[in-house]
Amino acid sequence: MRALAATTFVYTALVACGPPSVVHPESAPALSAASRVAMDTAPKEDLRLVPPEAYMRSYLQWFGALAPADVQKRAKGADGNQLFDSWDDYLSAMGFPDYRNDLPRAQQTNAIMVATFERLAIALCDRAVEHDLKSLPVTPMAERAVFAFENQEPMTEAAFAPRFDVLHRTFLGYPATLAPGPVSRSHIYYGLFSEVVAARQKSKAKARFTPTEAAWAAVCYGLARHPETHLY
Amino acid sequence: MASHGTRKPTFTEGMLMQRRTFLKLLGAATGLGVGHFSPLGQALAEEANAGHFFVCIHASGGWDVTLWADPRNEKLGLVSPASTENTDTGVIRRWVDAPLDGDTRTFALVKPAGSNIVFGPGIGELGDMASRLTVVNGLAMNTVSHPDGTAFSATGRHLVGGRVPGSSIDTLFANEFGLTQTFPLVSVQFPSSYVGDNLDRRAVPLTIGSVGTLSRTLTRSTLYDSDAERDKVTALLGKQARELAAESAYPDVMQGMALQYDALRAMLGGKLQDVFSVGGLQKAQPQFNYKARFASGTAVNMAFAIEAMKRNVVRCVSFAQGGFDTHNANYKTQALVQQDLFDAVAQFVRTLDETPHPTLRGKKLADTTHILVMSDFCRTPQINTGGGRDHYPNNSALVISPRFKGNFVFGKSDKEQLLPAHAKRFADGDRAIAPPDLLATMLSAVSVNPRKYLRDGEVVPELLKV
Repeated sequence: MRALAATTFVYTALVACGPPSVVHPESAPALSAASRVAMDTAPKEDLRLVPPEAYMRSYLQWFGALAPADVQKRAKGADGNQLFDSWDDYLSAMGFPDYRNDLPRAQQTNAIMVATFERLAIALCDRAVEHDLKSLPVTPMAERAVFAFENQEPMTEAAFAPRFDVLHRTFLGYPATLAPGPVSRSHIYYGLFSEVVAARQKSKAKARFTPTEAAWAAVCYGLARHPETHLY
Repeated sequence: MASHGTRKPTFTEGMLMQRRTFLKLLGAATGLGVGHFSPLGQALAEEANAGHFFVCIHASGGWDVTLWADPRNEKLGLVSPASTENTDTGVIRRWVDAPLDGDTRTFALVKPAGSNIVFGPGIGELGDMASRLTVVNGLAMNTVSHPDGTAFSATGRHLVGGRVPGSSIDTLFANEFGLTQTFPLVSVQFPSSYVGDNLDRRAVPLTIGSVGTLSRTLTRSTLYDSDAERDKVTALLGKQARELAAESAYPDVMQGMALQYDALRAMLGGKLQDVFSVGGLQKAQPQFNYKARFASGTAVNMAFAIEAMKRNVVRCVSFAQGGFDTHNANYKTQALVQQDLFDAVAQFVRTLDETPHPTLRGKKLADTTHILVMSDFCRTPQINTGGGRDHYPNNSALVISPRFKGNFVFGKSDKEQLLPAHAKRFADGDRAIAPPDLLATMLSAVSVNPRKYLRDGEVVPELLKV
């Protein structure tokens, strides 16, 4: 019994006073994949309205980088055709805040805002058709505000696509071929273009624009009013 | 009380009939074992509230309640009443001199025949309609900031930082009753807000600076583009928005925009732009005073409201009238600003009495129109060194509604300091009434469960007709 106690004591002392045990690092084995999922790139926030200041700055830029008063003058024109009134008429509907009345900026679109965007876009596009496509002598390409391409009659879908892409990049900021949707956006807008041309060719009503000019105007304000122009 | 002609029901009869129908429907709902705000009860209530209209008016700047709803004509405690020293009394029709201090005169209280309500002289012609008025006094505002008071009055919530944390009452009415209208809510400089997930995008307030904007925004030249071409483009954009919504993880905004493109087509198809021009409205509704010094814009807004309701294209119209923020010598006009506003409201009510309802046979617009008039807060009981009154955390409000008790005042302020006093025992104890309570009561009056939208506020049944 005494011998066992002594042996235990000696063994314990040897273990306690011995060198520390060392764990050598080694790489862990790779985990096996249980399943694979695609990376979630969906935006985690709903779309927001482009601030009215940013929209107005873009609008002035599309109009040829003019000052607001000059845009107003050019958009109204001298022919009394009610294409544009004055900026003051549109500011509240565009969603600008009114600090005089402590009214905050609009955070959402509404139907009157959409109506205002239409009115503004029509003024822009109609004046741009006059300036870029209709004026004589022909406006040099470098001086064109919106339609930086040559018109062509008749307009085939193949000829339409690159011209539409110019407008798409101008208003929406990216190539038309990348636009989401089940059908090519260029094809959809070519449909609009063709319908307007066909309707104008049938119509006997007096109009300022030729069928293709009116169709380009429609395509132009169909992009300048596009939801992607106003939301981000 | 307005007359509706010999063969048609009077206003009161109209109210009773309508209330009877309403109670019948609610009774049926209760009989079926469903609660007042249960889905079935709600559906029945919607039926009972079909064709109702809402008008919200903001007296912007903070009004002096001692000149109309909570009149004071004695020096007591902090209170220095309006007097000939600080008010242009000559233009105030209901101002009758009463003794105050030496040569200085104050006003005699206004108590029209048959009225249970005592007014100040700012009430103008509206005093003659006391039987239709519900006055709420001693509204606890807990703020003297314009933006905060405005938001609190309109939404029942104080600002969070600079942000409005709740939807305004006009938006809630539009969301409940106006989604199928061409204009669910037209907001002319009213502090309208749209906040929250349980709202339809069609109820987003159509905010404009003036009614003229509406007409100008909808005007289209026909020399360059045709109506058909523009409509084609709008239809295409609506389709694009729907397709983008279908591909989006958060489709609400895109779907909302699609609905707004549809609404635009309806607006332009209705050819409303000429009707809603300022000139057109003045011609159509000549009875309003378009030359009133402080309420000319209000008159145009009211004419718009009448024309839009007559055509059944709107559900709620809200607008503001300024001129109430009288810190200095401009306090002299405070009573006139009030008189102009309340004269206009009186004319508005008379016009509602005479105008047939667009969808309910035999009814007048007055039978189904609910009017709320509110302000940021009230003004101090004492006159400051500039001769004006500053901001004060008390308030009053006015309701004209077929569902509210007429000839009735609820709530009070204390005599010496004009601060809100306990109005009754609420669920959370004795306290003064506050804007969330009034807003909750307004929602409840048209059978909307206030808890659906409001965080605070308790329905005050005393304000409602039994």
